[in-house]
Amino acid sequence: MRKMIVVAVREYQAAVRTKAFIVSLVLMPVMMGGSVLVQDLMRDKVDTKDKRVAVVDQSGKLFDAIAEAAKARNETTIFAESDEAQKQIQPRYLFEKVESSTDDPSQTTLELSDRVRALDLFAFVTIGPDVVDPAAEPAHAAVQYFSNSPTYDDIEEWLRGPLNGHIQKLRLKAAKLDPRVVEEATRQVSIANLGLVTVDAAGKIASAEATNKVANFFVPMGLMMLMFMIIMIGASPLIQSVLEEKMQRIAEVLLGSIPPFQLMMGKLMGMVGVSLTIATVYMVGAYLALRQADYGRFFPAHVVWWFAVFLALAVLMYGALFIAVGAAVSDLKEAQSLTTPVMLLVVAPMFVWMNVVREPTSNFSLIVSLFPPATPMLMLIRQAVPPGIPTWQPALGILLVLLTTIACVFAAGRIFRVGILMQGKGAKVGEMMRWVFRG
Amino acid sequence: MNVVEIENVSKTFGQFTAVNALSLVVPRGSIYGFIGPNGSGKTTTLRMIMRIYHPDPGPGWIRVLGEDNQTAADDRVGYLPEERGLYKKMKVRDILRFYAELKGCREFKVRVSTWLERMGLSEWADKKVEALSKGMAQKVQFISAVIAGPELVILDEPFTGLDPVNADVLRDAVLDLRKNGSTVIFSTHDMSVAERMCDRIFMIYKGNKVLDGTLESIQARYGKDTLRVKVEGNGFDPRAIAGVEKVTDFGKLQELRISPETDTQDVLAELMRCGRVTHFELTTPSLHDIFVRIARPEPRDVVGHT
Repeated sequence: MRKMIVVAVREYQAAVRTKAFIVSLVLMPVMMGGSVLVQDLMRDKVDTKDKRVAVVDQSGKLFDAIAEAAKARNETTIFAESDEAQKQIQPRYLFEKVESSTDDPSQTTLELSDRVRALDLFAFVTIGPDVVDPAAEPAHAAVQYFSNSPTYDDIEEWLRGPLNGHIQKLRLKAAKLDPRVVEEATRQVSIANLGLVTVDAAGKIASAEATNKVANFFVPMGLMMLMFMIIMIGASPLIQSVLEEKMQRIAEVLLGSIPPFQLMMGKLMGMVGVSLTIATVYMVGAYLALRQADYGRFFPAHVVWWFAVFLALAVLMYGALFIAVGAAVSDLKEAQSLTTPVMLLVVAPMFVWMNVVREPTSNFSLIVSLFPPATPMLMLIRQAVPPGIPTWQPALGILLVLLTTIACVFAAGRIFRVGILMQGKGAKVGEMMRWVFRG
Repeated sequence: MNVVEIENVSKTFGQFTAVNALSLVVPRGSIYGFIGPNGSGKTTTLRMIMRIYHPDPGPGWIRVLGEDNQTAADDRVGYLPEERGLYKKMKVRDILRFYAELKGCREFKVRVSTWLERMGLSEWADKKVEALSKGMAQKVQFISAVIAGPELVILDEPFTGLDPVNADVLRDAVLDLRKNGSTVIFSTHDMSVAERMCDRIFMIYKGNKVLDGTLESIQARYGKDTLRVKVEGNGFDPRAIAGVEKVTDFGKLQELRISPETDTQDVLAELMRCGRVTHFELTTPSLHDIFVRIARPEPRDVVGHT
């Protein structure tokens, strides 16, 4: 036991003290949250040059409304909010009225296209004559947006609002309806998503709490991704350290001091330590971030300990397999091809997690979450979705994972014992199986 | 008391027999030299003593420091493998501490400093292993084998790749270990080192023990069948002399092996006819010569004389 701890401590220090570890610890959330952050930062980095748009309003009823809305927009919404300096973050839209030559409309669109090509205009819009009353002649009711920048859809998006608003107003007027009455009559109702009503300590019926769909969905996902990430971060240093010990003949010295099984357990314990360290860092980080954003109540405090237990077991279970791979191969390239099946096991829960998170109490969810390689992640998801699951289920899951872990550690121990001293070419899967069963 | 007792032990890898029915006894306080050609089973034997390899199942057994148990003796045995054996990214001091702790040694701080100083590595204590030269790394590795003050030290080719100065430092350290009561087993390809340092020599060839005993007893088995001669003069070809079986020419000196029934006086007379004899010595064969006789058998040789 003492020797196992010595190995575990060295393993832990070797992993934690490297620059790669620190970098990946910092980089992982940056990479995940970074894209959001970068987009946020880059959102303001847009071209604020005025965009001129020509409007051919054949109906003759809409241009004024558009121009008015554009004017309002140019005076307010294009500036950054809460900015004293009134920094402009969006371009101004300048609309220009163009009369269509009545005899040949296509001539007008050609002229306007040429102006867009000459960069005199950004785009132009044609509005059909019967757009307010399309029933009479649907062909004459089209609104068309022409531009040479097909991926820039801001103008088109914006235009939809004032255009439809005004058309609706005109139609209501034609039907002699009061717009305010119509608005009241067509108002949508929302549905509140609540948990169940409970009785509080004083015996009173406590009102049900509103659930937050986003939180209920993202918290389990976050827990699963975190566990997945930690296993992935831990896997490669583990394989590398076994490979180094093998290639540098360190294993020989070690095995002269400590039996192979203890050596392997020491390494696994070191990796569990590393994983729990990473988990702590991220958990505390997530908690602080959530509290900062006033979402502290969404922090899944009730499953944190389960998370730690499942993570430790997952690391032991998968770590044993990674160690076996490291011991059986002779270089990193070989290791990669042999780790693929193990990685598939780690990734497997990702294929079904959506079903599990939507129906955590279904039979399907129960069964897949009791499949040991998937248990740590899927059981955790089921626990994280309110109201959770009966305790016997994670307990049974832990028992099954524990048994699997012992089997994995045992098998890996045998592969490790033979493989770690083998030099030259790596072992075939068949050979490894023989080591496992013959001892 | 014997530190290592090996009785009728074999080790096979698939079809290949690395060690065949080996019996060996290493007495306490001795320096035991393991010699033998590459791939003859030296390292396998050492690894079996280290319990890194388990012998084939059978009636044989290995007892180290009086322990039959798998790992009971581990902490009292130090091991230097044939090459490398250090974490590249670790600092010298840390890795020595790690190996000391692994052996259950608690007062490693003083020991590490003492050993580093002795090996002339004090300045390198806080450097990473990857920054060391091969010779320095080998010395660090040696320290790691002896840091915990083992009763038995097993060194697999400790002198290979060292310059003469470092080889001397290491040799003195090994002799000191013995002086302090440790038993040392080392394998080597350098016959003169084995001749000068070892109390007993063990030779393994193709998995079989072919020599075992003191240098004198080994040489005695071969008898005084070697003549060392220096002859001045040209056109001297000792091969032509009757009774000379083999000539090893060292340039200034020739070693002649003569057949048992040959009279050395006749050989001397023949030599005097060829030129002026300045050196004539009847001696036992050197370990080098014995090694070569065994490992490169010639038609007229009887392999091993055992």
